[in-house]
Amino acid sequence: MLLQAIVTGLSIGAIYGLVAMGFAVVFYVTRVINFATGQLLMAAVMIVAGLSESHWHAWVTIPLGLVASAVGAVLIYLIAVRPVLSFNRFSFAWLVSTLGVAIILASGAALIWGTSSLAFPRLLNDTDVKFFGAALSWQQIAGVGVAIVLTIGLELFRTRSLYGKLAVAISNDADTASSMGINVTAYAVWAFAIGGLLAGIAGVMVGPISFANPYMGDTYGIYGFVALMVGGIERPAASMGGGLVLGVLISIAATYINPLAADWFPFVVVIAVLLLTPNGVFRSGAVVKRLLASIGSQLPHVSPGSK
Amino acid sequence: MTATQTQAAGPPQLVAPSVRRGLWSVAIAAYIVCTFDLGHSSSYRQGLLLVAASFAIMALSLDLVAGVTGMYSLAHAGLFAIGAYGTAILNEVHHVNVFVALPLVLAATAVVGLVVGALSIRVSGLYFAITTLIFTIIVNVLLSNLKVTGGFQGLPSPTFPNFPHSISSALGSSLAWAVSGCLFLTIAVIWSIRSSALYPVLLAIRDSEQFAAAAGVRTSLTRILLFGLSSALAGLAGWAFSFQGFITPGQFNSTASINILVMVILGGINTRVGPIVGAVFISLFPVVVSIDPLWQEILFGSIFLAVIVFVPEGFVGLLIRFGRLARYRWQRATVGSALGVTLDSSTGLSPATASFAPYAGPADRSSPALEARGVTFSYGGPTPALQGVDLVVAQGSIHGLIGPNGSGKTTMVNLLSGILTPQAGTITVNGVRAEGLHVWRHTDLGMMRTFQTAVMVRELTTAANVGVGLYNRYAHIGSRSLAWPVLPSARRDSRQMASTSRGALKNVGLGPEWSSTQVANIPHGVEQLTQLAAACVGSPSILILDEPLAGLSAEEVVSVSGILRSLQAAGVTTIVIEHQTRFIFDVCDQVTVLAAGVLVRTGAAADVRADPRVREVYLGQ
Repeated sequence: MLLQAIVTGLSIGAIYGLVAMGFAVVFYVTRVINFATGQLLMAAVMIVAGLSESHWHAWVTIPLGLVASAVGAVLIYLIAVRPVLSFNRFSFAWLVSTLGVAIILASGAALIWGTSSLAFPRLLNDTDVKFFGAALSWQQIAGVGVAIVLTIGLELFRTRSLYGKLAVAISNDADTASSMGINVTAYAVWAFAIGGLLAGIAGVMVGPISFANPYMGDTYGIYGFVALMVGGIERPAASMGGGLVLGVLISIAATYINPLAADWFPFVVVIAVLLLTPNGVFRSGAVVKRLLASIGSQLPHVSPGSK
Repeated sequence: MTATQTQAAGPPQLVAPSVRRGLWSVAIAAYIVCTFDLGHSSSYRQGLLLVAASFAIMALSLDLVAGVTGMYSLAHAGLFAIGAYGTAILNEVHHVNVFVALPLVLAATAVVGLVVGALSIRVSGLYFAITTLIFTIIVNVLLSNLKVTGGFQGLPSPTFPNFPHSISSALGSSLAWAVSGCLFLTIAVIWSIRSSALYPVLLAIRDSEQFAAAAGVRTSLTRILLFGLSSALAGLAGWAFSFQGFITPGQFNSTASINILVMVILGGINTRVGPIVGAVFISLFPVVVSIDPLWQEILFGSIFLAVIVFVPEGFVGLLIRFGRLARYRWQRATVGSALGVTLDSSTGLSPATASFAPYAGPADRSSPALEARGVTFSYGGPTPALQGVDLVVAQGSIHGLIGPNGSGKTTMVNLLSGILTPQAGTITVNGVRAEGLHVWRHTDLGMMRTFQTAVMVRELTTAANVGVGLYNRYAHIGSRSLAWPVLPSARRDSRQMASTSRGALKNVGLGPEWSSTQVANIPHGVEQLTQLAAACVGSPSILILDEPLAGLSAEEVVSVSGILRSLQAAGVTTIVIEHQTRFIFDVCDQVTVLAAGVLVRTGAAADVRADPRVREVYLGQ
């Protein structure tokens, strides 16, 4: 039972982690939290489900849904974020504008497709894999696989490529980066596009397991955001870790406490996390290193240079 | 300077005080008439407006922390819930009278707010918002799962006692009067703070914590206490809200917290009426615009978006911008000619006519003003920033601190002023051991300082910024700020602070045309001089200046030399870091040279200048 709870938790956690990475990639470059990220997931899911009702094939609808979420994210940047940042880079006005977009997207989807849930193509959800008494559908396994591949890919891109390094420069000081000849707007557009795409991919992965509803964006947006807080906001890969931790905790709480515990248990964890390390669990690696170094510097004969 | 002169030097007053008092009386009378009308209107209209009024209290309380001190709290829906549920539980379960419940609820929310504030101010900006959001989520989870709160069903609202029969026909609904009274109280407290001497200090904490701390403000404590006050006001809103129908967890979730912030931003953050306008707009919008609910939501979202994109400063912020423009045009049309001449002249500096009040310093003049022995400090890099540095500054002297870039000068003054704590060594200020004491304790010991890069409150005038430097020269500014306009002592202090600040600006050569200009609109040199004035205004016995000449013109440099000499004549001890060696050797009695964190030479200016080692490391042959 524990194994089942853990693997189910990992599979749903991977989805939360993808949404959290969608938040984190945007934040990494622009220092903005796009509160419509959950709604971009919903847009991808609704487009796939809506077009499938009209008997379009999944191979056509899924790419369309993904493109829509990426393009939608770029539009959010151009319409709702960029004008606000150009007025005052340090205000929280983007919170209001992206939230406005979230409301528009959810209500717009409800206008187009109605407020009741639609069926999503089953994709790989009909075949199960059993191991050591635990069962997962191929769809869930594919979700975890996609999440792992995307996390590693993004992390390599961030740390190894020049683009990733320039993104750090932009997030630290956009004005200086701009004066060095970096096209800050282009980076922000790409960050939003990747963030939207990640949300869209999360939608396609979760759609067959879940339902297609105009208001599903709220749920996944909030859990993605909590995953972001657990993992830490500064590194996209850490936010995926936060998603996996959150998913497992929810699953264990639902199995061993009661199904309602899934609503409050994750938040207890978040408080504990924030009290211990205000910057997230997966930043604590640095904390541990600093702690060890500070002990080291107390000892004689350790080079005085160590922190 | 006589009182009339002070008045004349002040910013032009648009309305006389007596007229102003009359206008306030009219406004209060109008408010009472509106309440009276509300007490007699239909229960439908009353229900709408009382909910709007409760949210107006919420938005005002949030603006106090978000707008004024930059703490974007999302804990407010949680605090609101504690107020509302607290009242309902006390009344229904424990049968406590609702008026007895009110102080209990206020105390509870204030205490919770103090704890949440103290835990959250360790992080700033977005992290503060996230930490406080977590609080709201926890409260919401508890409300949904506990038995005493009725779970998802919530609790019925407690009954609010009616007026006695004799006056109820005259006054109408008692609840309308109660909620209206709560709103009035909130407005009174917040507007009082905004008009008090505390307001510029709070803005300084928001924009430049170092500047505020150097003026003797206990910045963290002030933030926490202000958060506690804001929380109590949120509790008050919750009390008022609890009587307006069933309360359920859904009304107080994280979305509600964000909605309150949206009210503040939409109406106009850090304005007097903006939060009220935003709260009324958002609570009444769904009722006033009755179209298809989905289209209504889309319109609602579009308005969010449009307001923020086109008028980021909110409804009221926009009006204020227009108002300022109009007033500026009006001023230019009437007094423009006189102002124009001064602004066009090369520096805008009045000839320095410094006249500092003589300052005696501590009674015991034998001990040095400042004495640092064996001070060592490391930021954690491979070499310490300072290693075993001794520095002795005699009472009433001007002491120069020079050295190449990176030699540890700024680190040294940060240690002397208490911003940093040395890892080894002792620092004595006016005979008192001071290493490890907080910055604000140093101002109590008579020390004031400036920073290499001045950061002041851009939206305030130079005089108001200088006034921050007077913070610990007046008692109980914080507690008196709650009723500032009605306290004769506070009004007197306000006037005195304004004239002292203008006097300090005049002493550094900045006349009345500068004292009423916003810091956002002044050139860099004037900003440096304003900072100097803010450090001098509280008559310190020790003044530390970190590169006071950066960005000043040759004329202004001469004027600063004059200012330092008149400060010396008044008995002030000055420590000055500067790269302009001609200025240093011209004005200083003693000079200390640092290089790579080590003391090279300290002594009389002429001896130091002749020292071959000093020439080698710093001056050049």
